[in-house]
Amino acid sequence: MDSQKVDMFILTNSKFFESHHVSQIRDRLLQVDDSKWGLIQTLQFNDPTTSLIVSLIGGNLGIDRFIIGDVGLGVGKLLTCGGFGIWAIIDWFLIMGATREKNLTKLQQVLY
Amino acid sequence: MFSGRNKLYLLLFIACAAGYSWIFYDSATISAHSKPVEGCLLKHIAGIPCPSCGSTRSVLALMQGNLIQSLYINPFGILIALLMLIVPVWIIADLVTKRKTLFDYYRQAERLMKKPRIAFPLLFLVLVNWIWNITKGL
Repeated sequence: MDSQKVDMFILTNSKFFESHHVSQIRDRLLQVDDSKWGLIQTLQFNDPTTSLIVSLIGGNLGIDRFIIGDVGLGVGKLLTCGGFGIWAIIDWFLIMGATREKNLTKLQQVLY
Repeated sequence: MFSGRNKLYLLLFIACAAGYSWIFYDSATISAHSKPVEGCLLKHIAGIPCPSCGSTRSVLALMQGNLIQSLYINPFGILIALLMLIVPVWIIADLVTKRKTLFDYYRQAERLMKKPRIAFPLLFLVLVNWIWNITKGL
């Protein structure tokens, strides 16, 4: 793919991924065919900051996990009062990373 | 999140072990002080019960054979009791036969629950249960 397009993608979307993944994503995007560009453009990523806010407010009910697509973990959190509150607090620190991982999986599904 | 089968199984196993030890601890406290320990952070902070408050009492009631009482306290308790009974057996069966049926089921259930026509009724049930919990004053 055109390096100009790739750099534009990286500029606008780098906050949705882990910093150590960005260079790999760039390399991969440069390799893929131009026909994927339209599909990549339409992908919707979850904002890590939003999921942190949701986690702070609704973490006890597992809403943060539901939002990023970890439905199984969300149900687990909901059924246990957020893991007796402990899991909910741990997730305040994990949720941003988990969101970025989810975004990467979403992108990988299109790229591979 | 779970790329590997073993990671999910380990987490589920730890969750079940924690659940069993919590129930054991809670029933020991009840027999000593005749009052359950409340683990819910939301209830401590906000003073209102969360959707799954009372599920320990529900599981304990179920263990004594009071199905109606356990349903009345919190229907989630029965769901939790079922999960805690089935999941360890399923994990062991999968590990012995070297398959990943539980992992596949988990994936499928996640996919199903993401569909709005299944997600919204479930959400509605949870909300109804929550309102019921608050009116019961658990």
